[in-house]
Amino acid sequence: MKIVTARRISQVFFFALFVWFCIVGTVGDKFWQLRHWPVNWFLQLDPLVAIGTILTTHTLYASLLWALATVILTLILGRFFCSWVCPFGSLHHFTGFLGNRKKSAAQKIRLNRYRWPQCIKYLILIFFLAAAAFPSLAATLQTGLLDPIPLVTRSFNLVLLPLADSPVNLASAGERFYEGAWLILAIFFTAVLLNLVIPRFYCRFICPLGALFGLLGRFALWRIGKNQTECSDCKLCETHCEGGCEPAANIKISECVLCFNCREDCKDEIISYQSRPSLAGETANPDVSRRGFVLSLAGGILAVPAVRLSNKLGSNWHYRAIRPPGALAEEEFLKRCIKCGQCMRTCPTNVIQPGGIEGGLENLWTPVLNNRIGSSGCQLNCVACGQACPTSAIRPITLSEKKGLGEFADAGPIKIGTAFVDRNRCLPWAMDKPCIVCEENCPLSPKAIYTQVVFNTVRDGVLTVKKTTDKLIETVEENIAPDKFATGDYYCVTETGERRKITANTENSIEISPDNQFEKIPAAGGKIEIQVRLQRPFIDIEKCIGCGVCEHECPVSGRKAIRISAEGETRSANRRLLLTWRPVI
Amino acid sequence: MSSVRRKKQLESAISIFILAVLAIIAAAILQKGFNTDITRFGIDTAAIQKTQTQDSKSDVVFELAIMVPAGFETLSAAETYTAENLYEKINGKAPLYTESGFKKLFTRRFVSKQNENLVMELFIYDMDTVKNAFSVYSTQKRPDVDALPGFAFAYRTTNALYLVSDKYYIEIVGFSEAQELFEAMVETAEKITGELAAGKVTEIAEMTLFPPENIVPDSIKLYVANAFGFEGLTDTFTCRYKLGDETVTAFLSRRENPEDARSAADAYYNFLLSNGGTAKSTAVKILEGRVVDFYGTTEIVFATGPFVGGIHEADNQKTAEDLAVKLINKLSETAKAGEK
Amino acid sequence: MTEKTTEKFGRRQFLARAGKATASIAAAGTASYLLYDPAGPTAAGKPEELVTLPDFSIPHRPGQTISIVKGTNRIETVNKAIELLGGLKRFVKPGETVAIKPNVAFASPPMLGATANPELIAEVVRLCYGSGAKKVYVTDNPINDPLSCFTLSGIGKAAEAAGAEVILPKNHLFKHTTLEGGKLIRNWPIFFRPFEKIDKLIGIAPVKDHHRSGASMSMKNWYGLLGGRRNIFHQDINTIIAELAMMAKPTLVILDGTEVMATNGPTGGSLSDLRRANTLIASTDMVAADSYGCGLLDLKVSDLPYLTKAQQAGAGTTNYESLKPVFAAID
Repeated sequence: MKIVTARRISQVFFFALFVWFCIVGTVGDKFWQLRHWPVNWFLQLDPLVAIGTILTTHTLYASLLWALATVILTLILGRFFCSWVCPFGSLHHFTGFLGNRKKSAAQKIRLNRYRWPQCIKYLILIFFLAAAAFPSLAATLQTGLLDPIPLVTRSFNLVLLPLADSPVNLASAGERFYEGAWLILAIFFTAVLLNLVIPRFYCRFICPLGALFGLLGRFALWRIGKNQTECSDCKLCETHCEGGCEPAANIKISECVLCFNCREDCKDEIISYQSRPSLAGETANPDVSRRGFVLSLAGGILAVPAVRLSNKLGSNWHYRAIRPPGALAEEEFLKRCIKCGQCMRTCPTNVIQPGGIEGGLENLWTPVLNNRIGSSGCQLNCVACGQACPTSAIRPITLSEKKGLGEFADAGPIKIGTAFVDRNRCLPWAMDKPCIVCEENCPLSPKAIYTQVVFNTVRDGVLTVKKTTDKLIETVEENIAPDKFATGDYYCVTETGERRKITANTENSIEISPDNQFEKIPAAGGKIEIQVRLQRPFIDIEKCIGCGVCEHECPVSGRKAIRISAEGETRSANRRLLLTWRPVI
Repeated sequence: MSSVRRKKQLESAISIFILAVLAIIAAAILQKGFNTDITRFGIDTAAIQKTQTQDSKSDVVFELAIMVPAGFETLSAAETYTAENLYEKINGKAPLYTESGFKKLFTRRFVSKQNENLVMELFIYDMDTVKNAFSVYSTQKRPDVDALPGFAFAYRTTNALYLVSDKYYIEIVGFSEAQELFEAMVETAEKITGELAAGKVTEIAEMTLFPPENIVPDSIKLYVANAFGFEGLTDTFTCRYKLGDETVTAFLSRRENPEDARSAADAYYNFLLSNGGTAKSTAVKILEGRVVDFYGTTEIVFATGPFVGGIHEADNQKTAEDLAVKLINKLSETAKAGEK
Repeated sequence: MTEKTTEKFGRRQFLARAGKATASIAAAGTASYLLYDPAGPTAAGKPEELVTLPDFSIPHRPGQTISIVKGTNRIETVNKAIELLGGLKRFVKPGETVAIKPNVAFASPPMLGATANPELIAEVVRLCYGSGAKKVYVTDNPINDPLSCFTLSGIGKAAEAAGAEVILPKNHLFKHTTLEGGKLIRNWPIFFRPFEKIDKLIGIAPVKDHHRSGASMSMKNWYGLLGGRRNIFHQDINTIIAELAMMAKPTLVILDGTEVMATNGPTGGSLSDLRRANTLIASTDMVAADSYGCGLLDLKVSDLPYLTKAQQAGAGTTNYESLKPVFAAID
């Protein structure tokens, strides 16, 4: 079996595995659902995630230890990950192959020559690592923007899969929506289509993970190279070179992705994977100028405090960015979130959405809740997002911690925000219309929404009595909408202040229940008032956890009459509403 | 030439080795994929999907999977029932609950991971108030049972346990009498009470209203409605006393105010008379006009303060009267203390 | 080169690379081992290093705990008040460093009485140096912008003219503290660094009416030590003032009732808000000082619940008479 065959099988295997992990992302116990499938494995294998979080948090979190395996193999073998494992890389490889099929060998060789902008990916890597490197001053983890594994994960999970699944709804129970998906798709498509210009465009010019592998592969025990000096210089080895590393001449080892196409294409078997350097010469170090290095480093270091001049981590914090329960305090959160979108994929109610830049640049594609999307706000008895997060930007909390039970009873439940009733839009507050959908749907017990009853005279509600019979009050006015007041929410109040529920009405009469007659019958010529009984919602901010079910259910469907705002979230000491919350020390 | 062949052999060997590694990876991943336990996510997807398809007036989605005891896993999906379809699960017993304020039933089965014969079925009845839960608990209580220590209101039979936790009436029925299964059921009961009634003490205030001497332990029952077949006796507690070798049942109910108590007492008294009872004379002054002979048994009904109380179906008039007096004294004490 | 030498050369290179690769693997492995964190971050994140404000109080001397001097001239009254308690040399020993924490809360001119009087502060600074103090600092964490507060109130200039160093609040000077027995001051940032290494602490505050708490005197003065979004404590104002009295243990407090802000406190704004009371109080017990001082605002101890709360917490006594106050008058 040829090594390139093994490589192709490996690419198909890992790509299929990746797609499978995307498909099974829905929580459930069926075979095609989440179960215990290790859907974060690619993210855990990704050393850029591990190294990024090591820089920002000075720890290597749990399962990110897998990255050590990748690092060790890279140190020994070279940049194998790019052409044997990386699903994004395989996609680029395949697209490039499709695009180049009809081209001549000479054209292909020209496309595969080394170009100096291939150093840009190293500058991108340095920029991101510099931005992450000084957590005691200001550090942020932005590798997720261009790191291929998070990128391809969110592209598939948040865009391609919902598009493919929407007609059949096999992968998830209902339709899935993700805000700003167009941008994720645009970036994804651009990256993929650029392969029609130059093969593996992303891998060669942009990918910071590839750059990292290029750096790690410097001491690889075996490398591609010529095993003899006599060579006809036909350059056929470069026809299908994936890395753009020029194996025909002085091979740039840091660009070689170990696709072995050169070895396969060389008819004279001059190219081999060998322990000694290529006899045509090799360059182990990437071609990064000192100027480029310094500029990227400085840029990365300066970018963080520059972005933070917006004071989004201070008093100008973004209050509509409700983070999932278990999320760390914002500064710590931004040190861990790799924008992979796994929490959004896993969330059973589809309420976790990719954030936009209205919350600051760092907010892009981080998880924020939008209670108007999905089936119901944040479900009370669900902790799926924390389980899904590979870096513990959202901690894997237990249900007990989320609800403040057992050992967490002292600390109380986790709050992600507080509901605020917009009295200018709420039906019972502003429109004299009865409604308590929010109170009914509050999942807490006792509820965090309570109501106070108020009676308001309705519009044109003062009527003149013509005659009162057994249970019927006939009115002088004859234009009352029939049965308008029969819903059980309307009451008739006499001049003496007696109030009785209206059971029915015609155009000119009001009927009250025979079991509950007036003590002092309203006399002819007197006035009665029709009143609506309103239950006006109030929020008990000590109990409200900000789950958003009320916002989701509010019938004022545009700008909701009850909205969650992040004040009071327990993850932040300086955003509390109430005095009495005590941080867990 | 042989070196070429060796190279090709080496290449083949390496390629196949790599494929073998891939196969091992696939096997390891598949093995993880066979683990169906999703309790770490907390949620019950079936329930979530129900809320997605239900109308928006959704109730609390109850998660039973988190109450699984150690070594057990869920068997069968969670089921919920409302008053409309409760009979689909418990058939004729449904009115027992629906007439006592029943809101919802949550039920699920758990099975031991080690031994598939150890199965338990869990019923959690949301009865809306503590009193309602206690009512269905106490009125269904089996005679001659062992109390279950560690819970406010709980008893066990050889294979099942029954308890009240806040507003929930809980039955855990084991499908065998194995001790191991029972211990797991107790663990489940503890998890449930921890989950449902965290920080809440299940208390029924009225239980302390009965005079404590000679009470038969755990014999207090609560009839939410229709105590003794009379619809005017709602919210009525009954309690058994062992006096000598006689067992006497006393009852009481708190009303809004003394007027309501008096009218309730009168109503029951008249009910007894109109159903064949005859007024009985009594030597005890305060019980005058309060004693009825009902087909050979003595019934006493009185009102004191906001309480209606009395004795039900007593064999011996004197014993009944003594107990009635004790009850009146205790209740009027409480009534006076309440006034202050 | 012959094939043998190229081979040897190649092998040496290979070994060199193998060595580097092995070293890299070892480094990666060691780093992973040392940094490995299976549990992940906790709810509270990194626990803040908690500090405790040192205790600057001096031993109690019966009969010389609280002095009350009547007079129109602050320089004279403060000298007399301190003299009656044993003179500043009782409080500040030669070579010691002193921090003075006056009320510099607002960017308000001295005549409006919303902040401590600059001449009074300068005099206390001078007395400290006169007692042999090595260095005197004047500092506060004001409500308005610090620089404007120190400037407009005249306190900055007066303090520096007397030889003190003014310390303005900066982020890195705050550290978190938890008050033992406190309900509100838990893991809360306080203005800590200026007080970390000093020997003695003196508080200077005017007597003012306060809309939220009833009065602002020597106990409320320590609100200036709180950092963060401290206005949240207004929800439970009496508890926080009592806890401030528990947390701050100064050497001496000077409560200036020469001109009290009788209405519209704490900012006042009109000269008509001020009233001459011509009283200056020096005390080692701030609860007692405030308990006497509230009388200058026509308030009783029972009108200010934080006084009793502080007494119950053991921060002092509201019964100033039991401390045998020393009275004096200067015409």
